[in-house]
Amino acid sequence: MKKIKLLTMTLAIILVTAVAFFGVYIPVQNRMEDKVEGYSYAMDLKGGRNIRLIVDTSNKTEVKDSEGNEVEDADNLTDEEITQNGYTKEEVPTNSQDVLTYDNYKKSKDIIEKRLSKLGVDNYIVKLDDKTGDILIEIPENDNTDSVISNIGTTGKFEIVDSKTKEVLMDNNDIKSARVMYGSNNTSTTSAGTTVYLEIEFNKDGAQKLENISNDYKKQNTTNETNTTNVTNETNTTENTNTTNETNTDSTESTEEQKEITMLIDDEEIMTTSFDETLETGKLQLSIGSATTDQKTLQNYINQASSMAVVLDNGNMPVAYTVDENKYIISDITQNELNIVLYVMVGLVAIALIVLIIRYKTNGLALAISYVGLASIFLLLIRYANVVLSIEGIFGIAMVLILNYIFSNKLLVKLKKEKDVGKETVNKQLKETYKEFFIRIIPICIAVITFCFITWEPISSFGMIMFWGIALIAVYNSIVTNLFLKIKAGK
Amino acid sequence: MKKMTKKQKIIIAIIALIIIAGIIITATIGLNFDLRYQDSKKIELYLEQDFEISDIKAITDEVFSNEPVIIQKVEVYEDTVSITAKDITDGQKADLINKINEKYGTELSADSTTIENIPHTRGRDIIKPYIAPFCIATLIILVYMAIRYSKLGIVKTILKVVIISVVAQATLLGVMAITRIPIGRLTIPMVIVIYMLTLVGLTSNFEKKLKENNKEEEAGN
Repeated sequence: MKKIKLLTMTLAIILVTAVAFFGVYIPVQNRMEDKVEGYSYAMDLKGGRNIRLIVDTSNKTEVKDSEGNEVEDADNLTDEEITQNGYTKEEVPTNSQDVLTYDNYKKSKDIIEKRLSKLGVDNYIVKLDDKTGDILIEIPENDNTDSVISNIGTTGKFEIVDSKTKEVLMDNNDIKSARVMYGSNNTSTTSAGTTVYLEIEFNKDGAQKLENISNDYKKQNTTNETNTTNVTNETNTTENTNTTNETNTDSTESTEEQKEITMLIDDEEIMTTSFDETLETGKLQLSIGSATTDQKTLQNYINQASSMAVVLDNGNMPVAYTVDENKYIISDITQNELNIVLYVMVGLVAIALIVLIIRYKTNGLALAISYVGLASIFLLLIRYANVVLSIEGIFGIAMVLILNYIFSNKLLVKLKKEKDVGKETVNKQLKETYKEFFIRIIPICIAVITFCFITWEPISSFGMIMFWGIALIAVYNSIVTNLFLKIKAGK
Repeated sequence: MKKMTKKQKIIIAIIALIIIAGIIITATIGLNFDLRYQDSKKIELYLEQDFEISDIKAITDEVFSNEPVIIQKVEVYEDTVSITAKDITDGQKADLINKINEKYGTELSADSTTIENIPHTRGRDIIKPYIAPFCIATLIILVYMAIRYSKLGIVKTILKVVIISVVAQATLLGVMAITRIPIGRLTIPMVIVIYMLTLVGLTSNFEKKLKENNKEEEAGN
């Protein structure tokens, strides 16, 4: 009976090992398909999107009047009209010569890094060519990659100007932070639904300027509209999580001529409006789109607002860039090289287990079989727990295997000291080994749990793999190894 | 205070030598960075067909005289190869293209193929994402150790953990500087593993001392 039980357990472990290493192949449409979940690889093992941003060397056409001031709506003017009005056309470089400095390139690189971080990119490499100012970026390939690329290259220039005189009233230097908010809109005139807002919070100087501007550009003849908005913080780019109630500025038509401001982002007009009241909070809320109940439309508005918030929150890039290259490049670490790593690890584990068997005879053999089972289940676990595997993660796997070897060796040393290994002895020694082992790895557990909460993919990969590994060592040895040794010790 | 054994003295002397030599080499010659992190040149060739990395490697070994190169497949169809080397001269470019044309029957020309400059990655950019996680983890571990091993002296315990952890990492970097092992993708994982093993070693040492301490206390009572 004892032999049958041991044989059954050994066969079960062999089966799990076969599944973990070779998979389960089932015919699907005339081909064999592995039904076992594959590994999810990080950027260093899978490859990533490579983007090259080059300094914009193009020229833009500016139409100026006789006094040298830029003429607005010049795109609509014909050459004849330009001549008739005494205007002149000038070709001006997008990046003037004085902005093309190392400090500005460096600042642009830093801003890109901040944007990537705020956009939640969990692994990136940003390189700067000190001489040309070119910036090379490598980011992981996923559903958000294109959206991220569209945000990182934009200049992020923010301006509030007088809509007529084009005098710059506020710019990026006045912004403290930007965040996305949404809230239910209960107005008498607008349809019910959720409205997405971009909230721009200004710094001390900016808040003062906003107060003055909102007072100067107050509506002279406003419509009777009660606008009560319950705004709830949704995603933010700062630490503010309070629920706030704010009065919002919405673009409304006025019958009387009055002063208006125009908001520009990257020289593109976002809105022209005036203020309902003096804004004393230092915050400006802009509604993105109209109130909607459609989830897809809402998500679209949130994405738009998030993009604007990320761009505004990190300041404007002093140098304008254009995307020159945008390619997915596969990692230079091939599947063959990964297989070699796997074979080396298997080889080392095999040698270590042979040492155990030689030193501790049958108990060593039982622990070696149990060890193989743990390694196999561990490899399956990291696939089904959806853990991303990076190079750090591979080292994490090695660390878990080392830790379990230390555990097994400790237990075997204790069992060897016993003259008669019965079920009670196994229980007693297993308990002692658990106590000794886990007290010694508490600092590792602290580090591992900390790493699990870090968003940087390589380190979270290591943390997650170690977390599952340590949890498995605790559970597996108390069940499988315990059972194995008890069956062996049984009469 | 316990006297150091001869063996311990030798180990400390070796470690000190490694660290000092490492500092001198780093300050004078600098660390040896992997090609991935160095200023390099890149060339991309559209082969119009699937290819084996090993075949391209054979060609680059001939052209670049076995110098390290990074060979990568580009885009989802994997029919373009990206070759990165420390330097690619016009002669090497022409030679490489001739050999590729010969092997794959393509009609690539050296004139229409550009060599791109790839800037280096700064060392501080490589380690930056790891600083906060390590600091947070170490801080929590120090608090835990200070509480758990308070009987061994809080300040002494904290100092020991900090000094030994720093010395362990400095030794690793010293060995890398002396042996000219490139600072590459394996460096950070190695740092993490050394950090973990140092923690296990320190805890084992403290546990042993705590046990001895408790025994002495019991004997005193």
